[in-house]
Amino acid sequence: MKQLFKEVHEAWLATQFTGFMSQTQSRQDLYEFANILFKHLTWLENDFIKNNISYTYDIPQVPIRVTHISHMINNIIKRMESIESQLSTCKDEHVTFRMASDLSYMKAALSKLPEEEVEKCFLAEKKYPNVELSDEARDALTIFLFEESYKEYELIMVYNYSKANSNDAFLNRIFQILIDESFFHLRSFGQMMAEMGILGVPRSLMEEIYKFDNLEQFLKDGIQEEIGAKEECKKLADAVSASSEHFAAFFTFINNQENYHIALMEEALEYINNK
Amino acid sequence: MTADAHLIEHMMNPQNYGNMENPDASGMGKNPQNGEKVAIHLKVEKQDDPLITDISFQAIGCTTTIVAGSIVTSEAKGIHFSRAEELVSATLGLLENQSPEDAACTEMVALALKAALDTYREKQKDPEFSLYSYHITTDCTPKEEIEEIKEENK
Repeated sequence: MKQLFKEVHEAWLATQFTGFMSQTQSRQDLYEFANILFKHLTWLENDFIKNNISYTYDIPQVPIRVTHISHMINNIIKRMESIESQLSTCKDEHVTFRMASDLSYMKAALSKLPEEEVEKCFLAEKKYPNVELSDEARDALTIFLFEESYKEYELIMVYNYSKANSNDAFLNRIFQILIDESFFHLRSFGQMMAEMGILGVPRSLMEEIYKFDNLEQFLKDGIQEEIGAKEECKKLADAVSASSEHFAAFFTFINNQENYHIALMEEALEYINNK
Repeated sequence: MTADAHLIEHMMNPQNYGNMENPDASGMGKNPQNGEKVAIHLKVEKQDDPLITDISFQAIGCTTTIVAGSIVTSEAKGIHFSRAEELVSATLGLLENQSPEDAACTEMVALALKAALDTYREKQKDPEFSLYSYHITTDCTPKEEIEEIKEENK
């Protein structure tokens, strides 16, 4: 079942990042299917926890560099077929029945998605449509997107692990909000990376990132990181404000969203300190 | 760090990134200032001058660390330990020309490789030996921040 878990994780990322490549209605379908695969991942994870089996989020790099979206779609379908062939390794028949039904539907729907050329998502042109950026602003934005897309993936997995391994309803509500927020940010940054031709799947996580001993310290560090991210967003908003009002507004919006994340982490911190 | 085409390639598709099952040796480079770390794993062919047949790295760190890890491990794959030692020295020799943040990341990768080589040699004497972990000496505080601190302390 560990191989099954790993392959669902890979299929989720492949589907999510193919969604970033698409410029058509297919993007929404791919986002929905990525959501379903992420849900499968949490079901399998729950089964590990129920049966007291140790697990990791370790996966190999997920290759996504293609010229046409059909190459990725075919790859995802193959991944789903491989997942189907291993469903019997999970002993919870309710879970595997639901997964089989979802996979069957998704494979059929995926095979009907229209062709798109997606080569430009990987050409590293670092140009954003209708936005003129100085070399310095372009470099800053490029590095910011790599840093933050990885960070958002990391946060999704860290909060997911924490939520899966906790029965505390108060904390789990906060973890779930933070997961949802990170999904939104990952999608925003992933779409920008595809537009700029620098799309890449985040690297896998080292185990100690999500299997931490001290939640209080993790939250304190997290608040500091969010403050750092706010600063970066502010710098980027300033750097691009002359050339793109829309871009500047976007980074101001992301900057302000970080305040909400900080407030949530402070709420969690206060809760565990008062426990 | 600037984002030229060569570096972007390493950001989009870092080489040799990931865990390794049953490595012959692993080593760790750490930044005690901020908790960032790099682990390097080796598969080694036993010879008088051992050969690195496979290498992988993992990191808790920033994009610069990933780019440095991707470049250094690509250089180290398929070379003998004597050449790998030269690679470590050459990489450490580049630090002076880099910003403090970039230098700290690069040093962490070079020391992780050095630690993995030393671990392998130690394991030949003591198979139970775990791994070497080396701390960087570069202060990764950006120059502007150091200036600000100096101003504040005046």
